[in-house]
Amino acid sequence: MLSTDWLINIGLNHYLVLSALLFATGMAGVLLRRNAIVIFMSIELMLNAVNISFVAFSKYGNLIEGQIMVFFVMTIAAAEAAVGLALLVSIFKRFKEVNIRYFEHLRG
Amino acid sequence: MNATSGVLMTDAFLFWFLAIVTLVSALSVILMVNPLFSALSLVMSMVGVAALFVTMQAYFLAGVQLIVYAGAVMVLFVMVLMLFDLNLEKKAFSRGPGSSFLKIASVGLFAGLLIGGVVFSELMTAENAETTATLAKTDGTRALGRLLFEQYLWGFEVLGVLLLVVAIGAVALSRSKGGTHAKH
Repeated sequence: MLSTDWLINIGLNHYLVLSALLFATGMAGVLLRRNAIVIFMSIELMLNAVNISFVAFSKYGNLIEGQIMVFFVMTIAAAEAAVGLALLVSIFKRFKEVNIRYFEHLRG
Repeated sequence: MNATSGVLMTDAFLFWFLAIVTLVSALSVILMVNPLFSALSLVMSMVGVAALFVTMQAYFLAGVQLIVYAGAVMVLFVMVLMLFDLNLEKKAFSRGPGSSFLKIASVGLFAGLLIGGVVFSELMTAENAETTATLAKTDGTRALGRLLFEQYLWGFEVLGVLLLVVAIGAVALSRSKGGTHAKH
């Protein structure tokens, strides 16, 4: 009984563990990949993981404020993606590549 | 008894299915060598997260997630990828087996710490688990709107100004001619 209980009784901890795994995946992407666009995608993954845990706490704590915070995080993430991709476009114009190793040459 | 266990089974099946879809597509985001395939996997992951929001009765956020992330942000990503034309991508992953091992080990340690903390706190607060089962069914979207436009109106307005600044800044950045590296 105890062994299958955690499989069917979905609670706050399931969502939190999923969020932690998703965050770790995004972190691995940021650390391991060298293409700057894929690094941005991994950052979006990490933001989504945080959003999952916000919504989970909002549901299981019965507080609607968590969803407000998710709303703000989504807006900031969209703004961050826009600025980051604009930066990448100007870096690509200069180096014809967006590999992260060129970022160490950015100093004037 | 049978009906409630059936509902529980459906909820559990939905959660596990969505969790596996989200995690597998997140893994393929960081493992695909072609960035375009990474972008497509990221769309799948975003849709999975939106469906997870639906399972938590956050319907408005699920819609916003689909429109903003799976729609707007991903179109931005894919358009920039098309602009770059990255056919040959050498060295997609960072170099050095030792460094990669260190990075993966640190990620694993971090995830282990988080999950250990969550599970340990579950053991600590196991007697409080009954209180979460009797949640009041609230009209989520209406409450969210009232809170956003009454109590958090200031933050909402600041966010609007920030978006305006970011829009102008993105255009200015992508039109700049290389900054300090300008040839002329």
